[in-house]
Parts: sequence; C-alpha cells; structure tokens
Amino acid sequence: MPYDFAEAHHLPNRRLPEQAHADPYDLPRQRRGVTPQMHGRYPDYDVLEQADHWDEVTRRVVLERVGSVPEIRFFAMEEVETLTAFADIVLAQDSEPRIPVLAYVDQKLFNGERDGYRYFDMPDDDETWRRVARGLDEEARRRGHDRFALLPVDRQLEVCHGFATGKLHKGAWDTLNVSRAWSVVMRYLLQSFYSHPWAWNEIGFGGPAYPRGYSRFGSPHLQSAERETWEGKEAFEIDPVEDTQQRGLE
Amino acid sequence: MRLPKSIVKGSVLMPKDNDSPFLLDMHKRGLQNLDRMARYPLSAPVDLVVVGAGAGGVTLAQRLARAGWRVVILEKGPFWDPDRDWVSDEKGAAGIYWTDPRIISGNDPIEMGKNNSGVGVGGSMTHFAGYVPRFHPSDFEVRTRDGVGVDWPISYWDLKDSFERVELELPVAGQDWPWGDPHSYPHGPHPVAGAASVAWQGALGCGIEMRVGPVAITNGVFGRRPHCIYRGFCLQGCKVNAKASPLITHLPDAIEYGVEVRADCMATRVEVDESSGRCTGVTYVDGDNIERFQPADAVAVCGYAIETPRLLLNSQSRRFPHGLANGSDQVGRYVMVQGATQIAARFPYELRMYKAPPPEISSEQFYETDQSRGFARGFSIQTVGPLPIDWAQHVLADGHWGQAMREYMRDYNHWTLLGLLCEFLPLPENRVTLASETDRYGMPVANFSYSLCENDRRNVEYGTNVIEEIWESAGAQDTLKIDRYAHLVGGCRMGFTPEDSVVDSSHRAWECPNLFVCDGSVFPTEGAANPALVIMALADRLAGLLKTKRVSAPPAARKKEPASLRR
Ligand SMILES: Cc1cc2nc3c(=O)[nH]c(=O)nc-3n(C[C@H](O)[C@H](O)[C@H](O)COP(=O)(O)OP(=O)(O)OC[C@H]3O[C@@H](n4cnc5c(N)ncnc54)[C@H](O)[C@@H]3O)c2cc1C
Ligand code: SF4
Repeated sequence: MPYDFAEAHHLPNRRLPEQAHADPYDLPRQRRGVTPQMHGRYPDYDVLEQADHWDEVTRRVVLERVGSVPEIRFFAMEEVETLTAFADIVLAQDSEPRIPVLAYVDQKLFNGERDGYRYFDMPDDDETWRRVARGLDEEARRRGHDRFALLPVDRQLEVCHGFATGKLHKGAWDTLNVSRAWSVVMRYLLQSFYSHPWAWNEIGFGGPAYPRGYSRFGSPHLQSAERETWEGKEAFEIDPVEDTQQRGLE
Repeated sequence: MRLPKSIVKGSVLMPKDNDSPFLLDMHKRGLQNLDRMARYPLSAPVDLVVVGAGAGGVTLAQRLARAGWRVVILEKGPFWDPDRDWVSDEKGAAGIYWTDPRIISGNDPIEMGKNNSGVGVGGSMTHFAGYVPRFHPSDFEVRTRDGVGVDWPISYWDLKDSFERVELELPVAGQDWPWGDPHSYPHGPHPVAGAASVAWQGALGCGIEMRVGPVAITNGVFGRRPHCIYRGFCLQGCKVNAKASPLITHLPDAIEYGVEVRADCMATRVEVDESSGRCTGVTYVDGDNIERFQPADAVAVCGYAIETPRLLLNSQSRRFPHGLANGSDQVGRYVMVQGATQIAARFPYELRMYKAPPPEISSEQFYETDQSRGFARGFSIQTVGPLPIDWAQHVLADGHWGQAMREYMRDYNHWTLLGLLCEFLPLPENRVTLASETDRYGMPVANFSYSLCENDRRNVEYGTNVIEEIWESAGAQDTLKIDRYAHLVGGCRMGFTPEDSVVDSSHRAWECPNLFVCDGSVFPTEGAANPALVIMALADRLAGLLKTKRVSAPPAARKKEPASLRR
C-alpha cells in the first residue's frame, strides 16, 4: 500500500466521526536512526547524521540531550510512576523506544527554571506538578485502583480526557484551576518531547541549521527543488515495491 | 545626479552617524571593541544612567554618547556573545527570555516569557521576529479620527525622519510600501519561501494585497553584517548577525563614544532627592549580588512595558509615596498587547515552514478603521513559521493530545501559518501593579492584569475570518487556530497633561524633571504594527531633543574615530 499523505483524511479534524484513529503502527517503520515507537513519515531520515554540520555550541546541547538522560532529583518515586504513565498517554508513547520526557521535566523543575509567568490562581509550577500527580492517583482510586499507573489504558484515557476538558473535581483538583494545570503540564511535556531529535526524525524537521542554513526553500510548485539533498523524503513519495526491490529486500 | 534605485539599494547606502556595521567582525559575532569600553567610577555622577539595554535604551545611549554625554547602561541580563551563548535550538534558547517570576491575571491573562520578553544586552529584539513596519499617520490621532483611545502628543511627521534614519541603520529589507505614508526601504525584498508563497496566492485570490517585508534583516552588503542564511531561527536569536538588534546595530558605535554597559546588573530603585524632587541615580544589584548606587544627573528608564512601571512603582520615597512619577496614579496603567491569533493551513505538498525567517510577507490592507466592520481601528496580517515546540502548542490549543497530537505533528511539513496583529484599545485597568511576593533581589514581583474589551474581540473575530478566507482561496485542506497575544506596550504613557499620563511629549516625567522614560511603555496607543521600529524612532527623536541639554560639562574626548575602518 503506498502511503498517501497528500490527502488530509488521516488528520483528526478531517476524519469522519465513525472513522477510527489511523493506527500509527501502519506507518512506515523507521529504517535509519530512531523515532519514538519507531514509526514516522520519513523512514530514511536521521537528523543526528547531520550533527557534523552544526555549530559546536548547539551540537553540544543537542547531543547531550540525547546521550545523557538526567537522573530524577525533583519528583518522588511514586510521582514518577504516576506521571510517567500520564505522559505516555498524553504523548501516545505506548511502546519502546520512548523519549524519556519526565526526566527532562524533572531536570527543569529541579533547576528552578521557569517560563516567566504564573497565573494568579495557580501555585508555582513545581507544586502544580505535584498536585496533578496526586489528583491522577485520586482518580484511579475512584475507579477502584490504587494508582493511575495501574489503571487499564481506556480508563487512563478517560481520566486524561477529563483533565484536558477541565472536568475533574474534588481532592487535589479543587486546589487547582484544572484547565490551567493542563496547559502547564502539557507545556513542559511538549517542550521535552519536541526538543528531542527522535521526534524531529518522526516529523521530518531539519533541526539546527547553523552555520549551513538553507538554500532550497522555494516554491511548492517546484517540487524537486524544495528540499535540501540531506533532508528526508516523505514516505508517500516512496513506492514500497520499488523500494524493497532496490534495497534487495526481496 | 540621481542614481537609479536599483543601484542605491544594497551596498551603497550606509548610515551617517553610526559606524556599528563596520565595528563588527565578519567571522566572530560578539562585539570586538569591548576592551575599549569606558568604565565610570561609582563615586561621581555620570550624565545619564539608562536602565535596560534594549531597543529604546541602546539607541538613546548611542545618540547621546555621540553628542558627548557620559552614559552608563544597567542591564539585568548577560552581555551576549552569539557565538558562545546562543544555540540553533528551540529549547536551548530559553536563556534569552525574561523568565523571572511574574504574575498574570485579569479575564484574559497574557502569557509572558518567550512570547514577549527578552533579557540581556540587546533586549527583546535579540529574539524578535524582525518585522519593522512603521506606524501609520492615523495611529497618532485615533481619538480625533475614530473616537477611541487617546491622541499622541506627537504626530507621524515628528517621527518621519527618525523612521528613515533607523531603517537605514537596521537595515530594513522590503518592497516599496503602499500603506500609511508610502515609502521604500534601503534593502530590496528577500526571496519568499514556499510556505509564504502559498499565503500570497491565497490572498491574491480574494483580493488582498500583500508585500514582502519589511524585515530588519540584511539583504546585501552592509559593513560586516553577513547576509541571512534563511535558517529560520530568528526567534531564538540570530547567530549570524543578519537580523538586527541594538546589540549589533547601535552598541558597537556607542562603545566607541564612551558608553559603558554594566551587564548582569538589576536596577531596583531610582533614587530621589527629597527636597528638590529630582532623581539622583539608580540603585542596582550587580552580578556578585552586591548592591550599588550609580549617581547621575539624569535617569532614563528603558526596561519595557512591564519592568519600567515596576521599577517606578518600587521607587517609593516620602516625596513619592506611591512610586516615582505616580502622583496621578498613571504608572502601570494602559498596558497593551496586540491580538495575535494565528491560523495554520494544510496543503497536499510539503512546505517546511521552518525554513527562511518567519517574518516574510504582510498586509496592512485592513489597518485603518472601516465603520462597516463594526469596530474601531484594524489589524495587520503577517506570516509566522513556528518551530516544532511552538507548533505543538498550536495543536494543543486546537484541543488535541495523545495520538491526535502526534498525527498533527507528523504532518508538520505540510502546514503554513498566517497571524493577525490586531490593535487593542488602551484600558486603565489593564495594568501592572506590585504583588506581595518578591523576587531574588527582594523586589516585589509584577502582577500584570489584562482583560479584552468588546472592540478587541470583534477585531480579532473579523481578522480571523479574513485569514480563513485567504486559506480557503488557497485551497487549504484543514485549518487549526490558536488565540494568542503579542508585544507589550504602554504602562507609562506620554500625554498632554500630568493627570492623564506619566511623561510629556519629550519623554520627561511630569513630576520629576530629570527622569525620562524611553521604551515601548510610553505608547499611548499601539497601532496594528509591530513596535520595535517605533521604539527606536522615538529614542532617536528624544536624543535629538536632548543633545544640547546635558547638565554637566562635556567629558574629555575619548572617542576613537573608526572611520578608517570604512576603507
Ligand atoms: C518573540 C518575540 C517576537 C517579536 N517580534 C517582533 C517583531 O517582529 N517586530 C517588532 O517590532 N517587535 C517584535 N517584538 C517586540 C520587540 O522586541 C519589543 O517591542 C522591543 O524590543 C521593546 O523595546 P524596549 O526598548 O521597550 O524594551 P526591550 O528591548 O525589551 O529592552 C528592555 C531591557 O531592559 C532590561 N531591564 C528591564 N528591567 C530592568 C531592570 N530593572 N534593571 C536592569 N535591566 C532591566 C531587560 O532585561 C531588557 O534587556 C517581539 C518580541 C518577542 C519577544
Ligand atoms: S533566518 Fe536569517 S535573520 Fe533569521 S536567524 Fe537565520 S540568519 Fe538570522
């Protein structure tokens, strides 16, 4: 089956109500480098292969992000369990390899780094995270399990849906503005996930581009000239039959 | 003989009274003349202390230094060396934003940090997108014309020469500009990338005119400023020195003329002499956490719309019990943001919007009031090009997470964005006050309260529909919307009387004759244009007014003539 991403039917807003989520495991498997869960749209693109072309300062920062996962110093072990399960659900990381997002969140909180603002009706971000962990476990107990991490996936999804729509109440949730708490924790998680080169591989992002820059950013009507030679090809342009033959996989 | 425009554009035209582009190094991005920077003792007053090394502060200092003033700039953040300190990475750029605690409140709290506040030498322009449109003549008289907001105590024509001077210094690249007071730019337009050209086609399809630029990004030879390499990280700090910020456009020259910048120094109080009511200098906490006092004959506060009011409110004394220059309860009021809703659109082919500077093309066709739209004033339309983390925030704002989030994210390369810049009206309750909580300097944190009014909402709603139409005409397959706000101005506005403003038309505090405010906080209204050029132009004009009025004797000439470098 050739992948057709020229059409937009795979997008959540464009799907018919009765249509199920497109199964990401139907996507091409990554053949070069790593993506989270090894699926993506650019199977032969590994941004890390470009690291030699990055300036030294940037290279150090990005490679360290991949190479040394910070150890947990801010969260307690139970919070880690709960929040890791939560992060896996809201970022759809349901198998290995996973980007260890919680470790980066922990590092940021431990170092006291903030994003420059706090809503008047919210505690400091570190306290928000702790209360969210508590609230998630409370939701689990309301559903007959000790911990959020022990809930079956469909119940975890249900709790997250309640969280995302600001509809959780009682206990820890009553001490928070729930919608704002959602935006705080998601901000940290998305920053951790999409700053990781594995995620860049998945989405085909060019990554750091200094000092090389770009020379091909031209018209969408000049399909052949719009991509640098080193940028990944999107899967729908690859005919799987031809491709497997060429690679001698048959 | 008049040269044809095509020849004048590009390398020929250079600023007359600013040698900054020649004082840089082609291959090193940091400033090369720091070893020649003046050091003034704390024991004697300088002519002027400037708080904040940003758009307003550095431009003012550079001009006055050339006129012989001895100037010290106090800057809370580091002295950036783009080679050493900046990274070509979204998350890694966090250090260039103001991330000290601030509280946000009101019905529509405004998110701060990377969204609107910079720190360090160069100020917010180190990570501004780079759009530098002028205000329209109408922006200075919205009360008279449209019955909303207030008029400025100055007009467009008071700033016109300053606009031209600053545009040459940045330098600005763009097409001839048909809106407002029509004008052209020193550098020609940059090439338009695929993502923006789709927007252009869409706009044409529904009768909307767009133009390339205006951006403060070199597009030709300009001293030792390299050409843009179209890598798209403008909001993370330009590691190339192609995008303008006062760090490279004004400070190199300022240093030659005796300006001292004290980085890592947080001003905590402007001090006053209780009997005369004049200010005497600035108390600050330096990089070693030691409190110091720099005496000065005059003080210019240039800390931007949140920090300028905060510093004045914190400068309480017996004479000014409610904060300096705040006798009419005007300090901190009428802060404004612009409505900056963005709409992303999906196309069948790859667009890769991470390439080329995010600011590419814009339209001011809807800038002026049109009664038939049902609200006063208007908006601009501009391209933006979010990197992955920012794009994820868009997807989240549209209500997606989990598998849906990943699906939209994998689709990144098929999307492109247009954003609005809607003029919001100045309201007294949109204000900065001091919270009870304090920061690491022991200074009360700013509480910034914001609520939209009906006119603001209608403006955004109308603009959103216009962008949706553009995308429809371009053939978009799907769109996503994020409501957001950009820029910060007001908070110490200039006006006609001490009762309704903080400073007069020459930026001088009504209540304190040697205190000036010279940054975005003096804006009485905000227009629908990005503010940086206007801030620099105001500083240029103020310097012109002050030049000859220095209080103490001129310093022994220590300026070096860098003109030889021109050859
Ligand atoms: C992401 C982003 C994109 C933007 N895009 C655009 C754009 O495309 N076009 C445009 O025109 N504008 C843009 N802006 C806005 C523009 O950068 C600002 O309006 C402008 O730089 C403000 O100038 P200023 O002189 O008022 O303050 P700033 O340039 O912010 O300078 C203030 C300086 O004062 C320092 N400071 C504050 N308080 C103290 C204190 N107490 N002691 C010591 N130092 C202090 C700060 O650290 C800062 O360096 C953007 C801003 C951001 C954040
Ligand atoms: S796109 Fe150009 S101006 Fe923007 S950061 Fe890169 S080199 Fe600088």
